Amino acid sequence: MLRPIGNFFSKNRNYIPVLATAFLALAAYGIGAYFFVGMRNPQVFFNLFRNSSFLLISGIGMTLVILTGGIDLSVSGVVALTTVTSAVLLREGWNPWGVILLVLAMGMTLGTIMGSFIVYLKVQPFIATLAGMWFARGMCFFISDNVVAIDDRIFQILGKTKILIPGLTELAIKQGNPAPYISIPVVVAFALLIIVIYVAHYTRLGRTIYAIGGNEGRNEQSARLMGLPVERTKMFVYTFNGFCSALAGLSFSLFVASGHGLYASGFELDVIASVVMGGTMLTGGAGYVFGTFFGVLVLAVTQALIQFIGTLSSWWTKIVIGVLTLVFIGVQTILANRKEGRQVTHALSPVRYRQRIIAFGMAALALIGIVFFSRFGSASQTETTANASCEIKPFREAEVARLITEGAAIVYNRTAGPQCVDELFAIYPDGRVTGNDGVNSVEQKVDPVEVEQALVQISDEYQWFTDAIYGRYLTPCRQCFAHYVSISYQGQEKTVSQVDGTASMPAGYTLTLAVIRSLLPEINPAP
Amino acid sequence: MSLSLPNPNHIYSSRQARMSESDQIILAMEGINKAFPGVQALDDVSLTLKKGEILCLVGENGAGKSTLMKILTGVDKPDSGKITLDGKEIQAKSPQHAQSLGISTVYQEVNLCINLSVAENILLGREPYKLGRIDWAKMNKLASAALHDLLGVDIDVTKPLGSYTVAIQQMVAITRALYIESAKILILDEPTSSLDVNETEQLFKVMRKLKNEGVGIIFITHFLGQVYDVSDRITVLRNGKLVGTYETSAITRVSLISKMIGRNLAEFDEMSKTKLESSKHIRQEALLQARGYGLTGAIQPFDLDLHVGEVVGLAGLLGSGRTEMASILFGSDKADSGSISMNGSLVLDYSPLGSIKRGVALCPEDRKAAGIVDDLTVRENIVLAMQANMGWFKYLSLPEQYEYAEKYIKLLNIATPSADQPVKNLSGGNQQKVILARWLAINPQILILDEPTRGIDVGTKAEIQKLVLSLAEEGKACIFISSELEEVLRTSHRIVVLREREKVAEYSGEVDENTIIHAFAGSEA
Amino acid sequence: MRKSTQRSFTWRSITQSRLFFPLVALSLILLFDFIFIPGFFSIENRGGNLHGSLIDIFRNGSTVMLLAIGMTLVIATGGVDLSVGATMAIAASVAGILMNPSALRNEVFFVTDPTYTFQPLWVVIVSALLISILCGAWNGVLVAYMRIQPMVATLILMISGRGIAQLITNGLRVQITYKPYAFIGQGWIILPFSLYIVAFLFILTWFLTRKTAIGMFIESVGINFRSSYFSGIDEKKIKLLVYTFCGFCAGIAGLVASSNVRTSDASNIGLTTELDAILAVVIGGTAMSGGRFSLLASMIGALVMQAITQSMYAIGVPAFALQAIKAVVVIFVILLFSEQVRNFVQRISTRKKEV
Repeated sequence: MLRPIGNFFSKNRNYIPVLATAFLALAAYGIGAYFFVGMRNPQVFFNLFRNSSFLLISGIGMTLVILTGGIDLSVSGVVALTTVTSAVLLREGWNPWGVILLVLAMGMTLGTIMGSFIVYLKVQPFIATLAGMWFARGMCFFISDNVVAIDDRIFQILGKTKILIPGLTELAIKQGNPAPYISIPVVVAFALLIIVIYVAHYTRLGRTIYAIGGNEGRNEQSARLMGLPVERTKMFVYTFNGFCSALAGLSFSLFVASGHGLYASGFELDVIASVVMGGTMLTGGAGYVFGTFFGVLVLAVTQALIQFIGTLSSWWTKIVIGVLTLVFIGVQTILANRKEGRQVTHALSPVRYRQRIIAFGMAALALIGIVFFSRFGSASQTETTANASCEIKPFREAEVARLITEGAAIVYNRTAGPQCVDELFAIYPDGRVTGNDGVNSVEQKVDPVEVEQALVQISDEYQWFTDAIYGRYLTPCRQCFAHYVSISYQGQEKTVSQVDGTASMPAGYTLTLAVIRSLLPEINPAP
Repeated sequence: MSLSLPNPNHIYSSRQARMSESDQIILAMEGINKAFPGVQALDDVSLTLKKGEILCLVGENGAGKSTLMKILTGVDKPDSGKITLDGKEIQAKSPQHAQSLGISTVYQEVNLCINLSVAENILLGREPYKLGRIDWAKMNKLASAALHDLLGVDIDVTKPLGSYTVAIQQMVAITRALYIESAKILILDEPTSSLDVNETEQLFKVMRKLKNEGVGIIFITHFLGQVYDVSDRITVLRNGKLVGTYETSAITRVSLISKMIGRNLAEFDEMSKTKLESSKHIRQEALLQARGYGLTGAIQPFDLDLHVGEVVGLAGLLGSGRTEMASILFGSDKADSGSISMNGSLVLDYSPLGSIKRGVALCPEDRKAAGIVDDLTVRENIVLAMQANMGWFKYLSLPEQYEYAEKYIKLLNIATPSADQPVKNLSGGNQQKVILARWLAINPQILILDEPTRGIDVGTKAEIQKLVLSLAEEGKACIFISSELEEVLRTSHRIVVLREREKVAEYSGEVDENTIIHAFAGSEA
Repeated sequence: MRKSTQRSFTWRSITQSRLFFPLVALSLILLFDFIFIPGFFSIENRGGNLHGSLIDIFRNGSTVMLLAIGMTLVIATGGVDLSVGATMAIAASVAGILMNPSALRNEVFFVTDPTYTFQPLWVVIVSALLISILCGAWNGVLVAYMRIQPMVATLILMISGRGIAQLITNGLRVQITYKPYAFIGQGWIILPFSLYIVAFLFILTWFLTRKTAIGMFIESVGINFRSSYFSGIDEKKIKLLVYTFCGFCAGIAGLVASSNVRTSDASNIGLTTELDAILAVVIGGTAMSGGRFSLLASMIGALVMQAITQSMYAIGVPAFALQAIKAVVVIFVILLFSEQVRNFVQRISTRKKEV
């Protein structure tokens, strides 16, 4: 009985990396569902697709580029440019469908330009697409500096429409649960996937793409000698990826309902990682488009797992993705060498095979190390968590506003933290500093010049009153403080609220806090 | 466009009728000249090919065969000359263009896509479509049929090409080339180098069938047996010049070889005098001893002794294993059987650096790929190996480097404006001298020279040959490899003959040329 | 072989020198500044230290210059190191944590005492550099011994490196207030202190590559590693060395950068600087396929990039539009170095000789 399975695997050796990824994705989800009840909700599964539809769309285009042995780093720039352009044009009152067509055309144009650099000027894809990315991002800021919201009706419909899954709807209603749904971008992504799979495997164009990239790029010469239209095909691939990037950008803008030049930072790495994990080799010529689908799934599941675990921050995703990518490259090359070993290559094959095993081992070690480390890290976290399950007090917003009207220059309200404090400080231009924590209070005098200097620094150097400083409230982690800061200076007033330990805290804000704290007294004497 | 295979019977009869008329010439190349910097690759070469004939193009390394074929297939352009195909003058602008003109080529290295399936490779660019999508089932069937009918090969055409041996890949390449219906000429460049006897015989069957259909075939090979098996006429090139075209039935193997490797009696006498002198310096004890030393697939295990002050020549036709022998002696490839010892002690460190430290140097055959570092200057190229021997931190000061460079520029008469000239600007001969200088600089005990005079003008050739003898006189041991037998004879005290990757004979340097040629040819002379 | 007149020989030696193009580029930019930006070249003396826009170019560009030194050697062997930004972040995190380990106890502890540091300065610096050397060696092993393509191999650290940096600081941004450390990026001894660091590293590297055989071997391996192999050069060791060294340079750059912003910000330090470093090396004339390199040219390339940035700021171009400008520069450089232009230039210069 095992024989047919074994035969299946040896016949379809090419599929092994893809199947491995698929298995990994589903297994990870399964494990997650076992540990976290929340993940058993089918909507969570479908949300994986909703949240990563733009990644999939971009991944599909990138797969074709990588299959020809090239690479496209510009995707994140085009995505950002698409979001900004659509947001601004919609704000100006353009027809939404016109906007959609325009940005798609824009993406294709950029792709064509980069493609011609690569094909006709013989520039390395790396450099050409890097320039493309910089250019696209730069263009974003020529269009708009700030985040622009999208409130166009059509876009909102496109973004928020729930598409029910046939078959599961009745089942859910029977169980008394809301029917699971996906969104339009997901449908678009799947449609694109099917079309591209068809092209890749059932058209001459697709086969030419595979032919060009094979054998680590050496095939390009062979393909030319075989009479294939190499140049035309490469141009197509980059143009198409431009289209996909723009489409992904549209999908992303529907998702966040806004546009900004800083969006999708580092996106290209996620896309490349998905493609690699989907079994496509960066050297080209080998890989399956639907493998990218599973690669995207792995990324999505990883993200979901980390969210559910909660104590690990989102940056863990990056480490996990990096390690997984390494492991996959190792597996890919071991398999590739097994095939090569059949031919006459003296002395190199067994050595390379050994090297690949070492690579695989290193990756496994790294993975184990990280898991161990995280256990160790989270263990100490759980210890302190047990001690500090206190109640986080809300911000005293009304009081802060009152103090500002009464003339305070800086009012600083700090809550949460290990002991769930609730401290409110006010600093006045004449040097008076007051503070209380609901129980005790304190008052102190500092040099007014210092206060003035601090205000100048906060306002000019740290740009408190510009859009560079923004607030974002998240539930603070057990050990983190939350702050609510209101500053009034030279007729300008601004209140920003942030939480410690998040990646979203602007540098200027942190520095402002440091300056403020240097002026504050202790309410309780330090332990 | 229907893709069925040509029906032999239908075409056979009409072609036969035409063939009985004056044997028509389908291809004529006249007065082809091609020069590369420093060397005349083709000098007034002419070639004719008749319809329905198999013409063998033979010649040793540097004879110009590949250059001529590159010109015919559109990879290069000739400096002058005319090419006429089927009555019309042509100049192929690119390989695709050549294909469309009716020139179909199977290259020496498999130029297919190994990541795609066999069927795809055969039909790439001409895949059958059904309802707007590739009909894989039909493609696989056509490919299978083609392989079976043409070459009698039955393999799973859905597997990737890369999962098969090079021999099978070659067969697929041949099938692809044969699949083009409108081919007027088929060029086969060393197609049998990876085929075994049965596969070769199968290929010949196909070639004969095509011949009967009126296709003209140019067959390039270095296996003389095959030349006699299948060809009608033979064109011999040597050093870029046409030696002649002969009817296969009218020339013996021995005389064919003589024409290929040629003889130049002029300097012969003078050199043999020098040789006699230097042989007095040969000592008895073996400097290097190889026992049962070999590498599977490259060279059969052999025994070899090398004495101080001796020049041993490795003689053999192309593909006989000379370079392979040299590379395992030097350590750039690791042998998998036997051992060598130097000065009595067993060698354990097989690597280029290890050999250099022991005093063994190899001047590789492929000057461009494995010899010169083209962007570096003459000075840097010369001191490179010496510096590698000294390690990272003991740096030869610049004045010292210039000293060495100047010394060898003078010694070897290297034509360069200065020691700071990038080596890529030098002519082939001078580049070769620079590499020689590099190896001389480390003062080796053993110097292995693989085709040191290839693609070099006559004057420099003689210089190098004289140099080799003088090195022996100084007490070094040399291994001298060349395709030109006369050279080997002129410079060697002893000659080792290789045939088909095996050492088959060893003679003293005074041996008669004919004996060696017979050894090349094997038992069937 | 070829006899050339005295004059054309000098002209050719100038135009063919590796420094020619980057110096021309730099001069053009400075010329533009001189014409359009008043006071750009003014240098004031504040308490014994020199300040001014020109000085700022050097100071702000020191990070990229440091990276470019290591990157030049890597590119010269035909490879590339995409992970230098991530390595910078890791080094900065290590330094930050060693000065202020409160993050490990999950407190964001605002240290206000500028003389406080958890570990002595030398421990901080040495540890950070050791870790960055380790990162470089990791890349080196992957590329040289595992034979993984450089872009792929360094991509891995690029992706996961920032995560590792976050791991070190437990996800929190560590404030750096230790004065002596801040001196690295912000101190002044007549000229900005970071310049001395750059100069020191430059001299050290120059020494290592031109006063030992290492430079020649790097070039040889980059041009033709097969020929180098036959000449006895151990290509694997060379590659391991250059990647490790590049990690080392990235570590120094990370220290300078984090001392400049007074935080070790794992997600932002060194973001996109790897691309700036690669571009600096390309402007400096080192081909991405490997071969001849010039450290000085790469440094000038880095200065060109920084000068563009600075000049754009000075005439009021907003920070983010800068990216588009950089893109234009890249395109310009690409076109200049592209085959078509090179052939064109060659044809012109040969015609000149014939005349």
